[in-house]
Amino acid sequence: MQFNKVTDQIVEELKAIVGQANVLYDEEKMEMYSRDEVSDKLWEKMPEVVVKPETAEQVSQIVKLANRELIPIVPRGAGTGLAAGAVPLNGGIVVSMEKMNKILELDTENLFMVVQPGVTTGEVQKTAKANGLLYAGDPCSADSSFIGGNVATNAGGNKAVKYGVTSRHIYGLEIVMPNGDIVTFGGKNVKDVTGYDIIHLMVGSEGTLGIVTKIWLKLMPLPKYVADLLIPFADMQTAIKVVPKIMTAGIIPTCLEFMDSLSIKSAEMYLNKKLPYSDAGAYIICEIDGTSETQVQDDYETIGKLCLENGALEVFVADNMSTQERIWKARKCYAEAIRMISPVYCMEDIVVPVSNIPKCLEAIERIAKKYNCKIPSCGHAGDGNIHATVMREGRSEEEWHELKDNVLGELYEEVYALGGNLSGEHGIGAKRAEAMNKHMTDAQLSVLRAIKKALDPNGIMNPGKVLVLE
Amino acid sequence: MSAIDISSYKGVLVLGEQREGKVRSVTFELLTRGRALADALGCQLSCVLLGDQIANLEEVIHRGADKVFFVQNPALKNFLPRPYRNAICQVINEEKPEIVVAAATTTGRTVMPLVAAQINTGLTADCTELTIDPETRLLLQTRPAIGGNIMATIKTPNHRPQMATVRPKSAKPAPADPSRTGEIIIKEYDGALFITPEKFLEYIKDTTQEVSIEDADIIVSGGKGMKSAEGFKLVEELARLLGAGVGATRDVVELGWTTYPHQIGLSGKTVSPKLYIALGLSGKIQHMAGMQTSDIIVAVNKDPEAQIFKVADFGIVGDVFEVVPMLIEAIKKIKATA
Amino acid sequence: MNIVVLIKQVPGTDNVKMDPETGVMIRSGKDTIINPLDENALAEAVRIKNSRDDVKLTAISMGPESAMKALKEAVAMGADAGVLLSGRAFAGSDTIATAKALAAAIKKLGPVDLVICGERATDGETGQTGAMIANNLDIPVQTYVSALEVKEDGVVVKRTVEGGFERVEVPFPVLVTVNKDINEPGFPTLNGKLRAKQVTIPVWGPEELGVDKSELGLGGSPTRVVKVFSPKLSRDTIMKKADGSTKPVDELIKFLTEKEAL
Repeated sequence: MQFNKVTDQIVEELKAIVGQANVLYDEEKMEMYSRDEVSDKLWEKMPEVVVKPETAEQVSQIVKLANRELIPIVPRGAGTGLAAGAVPLNGGIVVSMEKMNKILELDTENLFMVVQPGVTTGEVQKTAKANGLLYAGDPCSADSSFIGGNVATNAGGNKAVKYGVTSRHIYGLEIVMPNGDIVTFGGKNVKDVTGYDIIHLMVGSEGTLGIVTKIWLKLMPLPKYVADLLIPFADMQTAIKVVPKIMTAGIIPTCLEFMDSLSIKSAEMYLNKKLPYSDAGAYIICEIDGTSETQVQDDYETIGKLCLENGALEVFVADNMSTQERIWKARKCYAEAIRMISPVYCMEDIVVPVSNIPKCLEAIERIAKKYNCKIPSCGHAGDGNIHATVMREGRSEEEWHELKDNVLGELYEEVYALGGNLSGEHGIGAKRAEAMNKHMTDAQLSVLRAIKKALDPNGIMNPGKVLVLE
Repeated sequence: MSAIDISSYKGVLVLGEQREGKVRSVTFELLTRGRALADALGCQLSCVLLGDQIANLEEVIHRGADKVFFVQNPALKNFLPRPYRNAICQVINEEKPEIVVAAATTTGRTVMPLVAAQINTGLTADCTELTIDPETRLLLQTRPAIGGNIMATIKTPNHRPQMATVRPKSAKPAPADPSRTGEIIIKEYDGALFITPEKFLEYIKDTTQEVSIEDADIIVSGGKGMKSAEGFKLVEELARLLGAGVGATRDVVELGWTTYPHQIGLSGKTVSPKLYIALGLSGKIQHMAGMQTSDIIVAVNKDPEAQIFKVADFGIVGDVFEVVPMLIEAIKKIKATA
Repeated sequence: MNIVVLIKQVPGTDNVKMDPETGVMIRSGKDTIINPLDENALAEAVRIKNSRDDVKLTAISMGPESAMKALKEAVAMGADAGVLLSGRAFAGSDTIATAKALAAAIKKLGPVDLVICGERATDGETGQTGAMIANNLDIPVQTYVSALEVKEDGVVVKRTVEGGFERVEVPFPVLVTVNKDINEPGFPTLNGKLRAKQVTIPVWGPEELGVDKSELGLGGSPTRVVKVFSPKLSRDTIMKKADGSTKPVDELIKFLTEKEAL
């Protein structure tokens, strides 16, 4: 595919659309738009120009311009992605949604929030909570990530065990299609099977099929009581074997997370705080919520006892803001903690059926030993989603690439053998496009390609992401 | 509670502090406060000091006290709560001041509650403003409360003395006037007054605080915008270059980029330097409660909406990692030519 | 060895909002926590308790009925018992009246060796009550304690003071107020939570304390709040935007040189 360059003339046209202040073209200012959180030079590229539209109409004009001139368009949220999905690897125009950051409506009667894509997920959560409601999407990056980015990647996060991933909460989208048309599908209807389910095609399409400019989020009543359990185990296998027992105990936890000993140690170092039982081989973190205090108590007692019977070293209970914050700080700092120890790393996002987590973790351990590298893992035990992170540490550029290729190659083979898949929640982006294309059948790929071709015949929307360029 | 004869209490008394036989400058700030109150009431200002030997008692007169009471005893060389309490209570009982003001230092905030409980009167902590109500002639004690979100004004109508501690650096030290005269009165009490079960072992200077931030003329302070422990070193570098103290927000201390003695704000220290340089900190109200009385405030922050700009005299909207290195270079240049 | 920990229930920091019109604090009753420094106090007491086998640890709180939750939490974290001082008689207490009530409660429990409390609470931020209680109990006090070593018949404390630290040796009984450098606060355990469910926490009023009502609450408080208002911040700010050039920094240097601030 041949794309054109952004010329001075096009920059002028973009200025005419969004105003001079909303167009960036000097390298220093565009620097932060040249990467996401992947932390590898391989996945960085300076945009030719960055635009910050303020309305769907402006987005439409930008897309029309790009379509006319055959210039790639890369939609971008807060840049917290972990798959190089918002990096302009084929050049072109980065469309940053940061200025479309308004909560348009909070409908407490129908339990909906209508927002623009540049609102941070944390603000959505806080606004809902302040009104006694819950927005159940909760990726670890919630404080900084944009809701639009969550939609684009179909972000998962901690509460997916009970409440599902982002798509479960999206009931309507306004989309600027690759030809510039502004279309709306869905809205506040709770049931709606009118036509194809375009909403669930768009959610998770990583900006390759259009740009979302307005989102209808479904809210639910805020569970009044929440308790978190922090459960240290002597070793990972004992810890992970408890997971299916918890999942079949008749209680659906809101979160069921694990951290291995390397992650615990990293968190301790990063937070500069002693964590309880930090010599433990693994932590399980389990959250239970509900509308009745005694129900939540009964549930955590059941789960806590189950863990103690199955090898837990201790069960800590947090049922208020301060203790809960202390527990989640340790889990949520995973990425930052790893970055502190090894500024370059490769965070994977594999997913396997829950019952196969022990085997998958065994495989990770085996691979780490074989290549003599560190692969701390933590993640969402309740849904089989494992963040295994290969650390570069002191390796040379060459050694690092060789290590990464070898480790990832073997890891993916193991994952597929266990009935798993490449990405549970971070998405494919550019980083895993080749691997995905390799592991999908031709028949599967041709379905994906047909959709892409039909909606974006010129292939300008985020080229090279999800599907490799032909 | 037995009613006391309020009218028998007259004059303003401030509690001076000394370390190693030298009157500490926080005493002179108290003289500024005390002088204003005494003048408003048209009464005398006295200062009580406790210690073994004190070299510069005259200076206390020069800086505004009409009387200095020096309670002299080897047992008072270092601060111990009980002997200090007993000495101060003794002086209050003898002199009957209507107002007693101490600094909200670790000493003042420890001994004043003991004194207040001992003589059963009110005490308002950590005031930022002290005035006299012209109608009632009562002391109005204003302090931040609830995370600095509000200010509360408090009075002590029916008990004497009216007592408050004031934030160090919330007033300027009173200037010295060598021609001022006053009286220095040495108070010697029976040693029994100073008997206490506690034993002072040692004072250890904290070497991590190269420049103590309470005493620094310039403070360079960093917030979460410094991104990492590594990034925070830029704050320390600029501070070193300027001979300044290093400050930090609560977040930064919690992240372990620096230690608690550097924390500025409601749960940390209150400072009032000549120049406060705020880098990558948004200016949460809790932080600002600890630095907003600085003479000149400079702020660098990426976010043009950051609260810190509201109290700044000079603000630069930009990335600290772009601006601060330039600032360091510019200052190096000045130093080289100076 | 008898240890008493004093804890205060405070609003979770995120939930303190001010009514912009009236300047009055809007308290949401649900999201309350143990005052963070009191959690340090509790953790220190639990540490001492775990290091020897003769410790009885009691947590005391004064506050509304809902402060029972904080005391249950203290038991779940390792306290043996709790006492709540609650009732109309305590309402409106300043630090003097609060210290009278808490000192009376400690006295009623019998001889105490060590009282530990947080150096200050996040809501009132006065940091006075600890020392006042020690005075009322007529026992020594050590404040701003960042390390505590228990000896045969007393403690050696490290105090964080201006510019450094002090070390002081004090025999029992003693009251110490701690800062956050002393330890990492702990967590309740499941077994602790189960125990807390069984423990009955008595509620004491003025009668149980044997303190005259006139010494408590607003009537027993020498201080009065005259008014509450919002702080005003504003200066005439010179604003510059970083543009990659050294111009904003040069202007800053010029400004600071004119003001003789460098």
